[in-house]
Amino acid sequence: MIPIYAMISTSLKTQEEVALQKYLVPPQKLQTSNYAKAFEALKIGLRNSLIISLSATFVCILIGSMAGYALTGFNFRFATYLFFAIVVVTFLPYHVILIPITQFLKTLNLLNTYWGLILIYVILNAPMATLITGTFFMKVPPDLEEAAILDGCKPFKYYLKILLPVSLPGLISATILVFIQIYNEFLLGIALTRGPQVKPVMPFLAELKGTQIAQWHIQMAGAVITSIIPVLVFIFLGRYFISGLMAGYGKG
Amino acid sequence: MRYYRASGIAFLIPIIVLIAIFYSMIVWDFVAAFTFWQGLKPTWKFAGLYNFSRLFGMERFWINIRNNILWLLFFIGPTVFVGFILAYLLTHLRRGESIFWQIFLFPMALSFIITGVLWAWMYDPSSGLINSILKMLGVNTSRLGWIALPKTAIYCMIVAAFWQYLGFALVIYLGAIKGIPYEMVEAARVDGASHWTVAFRIIFPNVGHATLICTTMLAITTVKVFDLVWIMTRGGPGVSTEILPYLMYRLTFDSRDIGMGTATSIVILALSAAMVIPYSMWAIKKWVRI
Repeated sequence: MIPIYAMISTSLKTQEEVALQKYLVPPQKLQTSNYAKAFEALKIGLRNSLIISLSATFVCILIGSMAGYALTGFNFRFATYLFFAIVVVTFLPYHVILIPITQFLKTLNLLNTYWGLILIYVILNAPMATLITGTFFMKVPPDLEEAAILDGCKPFKYYLKILLPVSLPGLISATILVFIQIYNEFLLGIALTRGPQVKPVMPFLAELKGTQIAQWHIQMAGAVITSIIPVLVFIFLGRYFISGLMAGYGKG
Repeated sequence: MRYYRASGIAFLIPIIVLIAIFYSMIVWDFVAAFTFWQGLKPTWKFAGLYNFSRLFGMERFWINIRNNILWLLFFIGPTVFVGFILAYLLTHLRRGESIFWQIFLFPMALSFIITGVLWAWMYDPSSGLINSILKMLGVNTSRLGWIALPKTAIYCMIVAAFWQYLGFALVIYLGAIKGIPYEMVEAARVDGASHWTVAFRIIFPNVGHATLICTTMLAITTVKVFDLVWIMTRGGPGVSTEILPYLMYRLTFDSRDIGMGTATSIVILALSAAMVIPYSMWAIKKWVRI
């Protein structure tokens, strides 16, 4: 916790105070201009990150929950194999396909576009969404499905109107985990973008560190700004974060 | 009564397309690793093991391998060990347990980039947090270079990653320990077993699945610490803190040597698959009950 405290207190200090290196002493006067300066440098990145992560997360959850339903709701013979293929994709570090990803987007002419990044994030994270939502769908009592069939409810309507609302906690868990994963991602952000137009926020923070050398108060303000979103999510929805983590790592 | 199977196929089409793309990219990786592809334009000319022999002939490659091994050894062991001890201690708390794990788990929600910015500052030899505290305590810090010295830099980074992932190990163990039948632990207590004996002789052998999850996930994380390397040291001083994914990035995007880059990917793939495939075969039994 000391690192976090020092980070926040330093982010509110003046340059002179920082130069004294008394990092554990709280700031004399709150220096909010540090935040203004850091925010100025990061705002395009924040906008890009929100656009990309929100839309990619939405598509991931949609595709993932459909697959999770199909794999747990119907007794396919090949389900085990498909499940296995999905688990492997979930855990394999995407670094191994970084080069094909760049070539793939180049061929589609989607380098340096929102669509390109969203597409890749969906490919990489929908499998995890499948695992998490699938784990939660398995807990839904089968009676619900029987009742739905007797009422003449079609599978798609059952999925949309009954299964999804009933498994809302699972959906929230999956959403949080996927969202944080995408928001925090860095490597694809630098490999697939050129210039600031669509670059996510993490590369911007890395640049801020590079340009504000030893300007610790600005760097720390930037770090605080960038972590606000995941931290808020964690504070208010931490329970779901844990259950998602458990479901995602095979302990549902 | 269940829905007909045929009506479920449609739900699966999107995910099948997505993972098909993923797997074809791996195949593409394999093909490209055996070609002379340098520069921007692809040259699909078969090169045999040429890229691999160049890669294995690089001293830099072996430094990378050594660093990856250091990560595996010094990151996984302590994280699992301390995570387990903390989880054991937390089960003895009467209240406030959730506050503790929230404090420990919270760095998991942060990105490696934020962790890296924060810890790079703490380790800074001239004006960082750690040295300034040591100075206050009267320690001569002139020889404590932390992240600036080739010998210590990698361990500094491992500590930062440890800080971030400790909560993960803690939570996984906490869940597992709670699953152990209470009578078993209680019986040992009554027999007068010490905390140490209860923790390591009785509880630890019964949470093997948690240990497996932790070690595998942390091992995979050692590939993903690319971000940490990038932000904290850029692989330096020299190439002393580079790890394989970082080398792959440099070869591909700086030297434009796709052949070598994909060859490095294949090495990473082989190492990760050796962990991921057995793990998946184990994990899948928990999901698919057939």
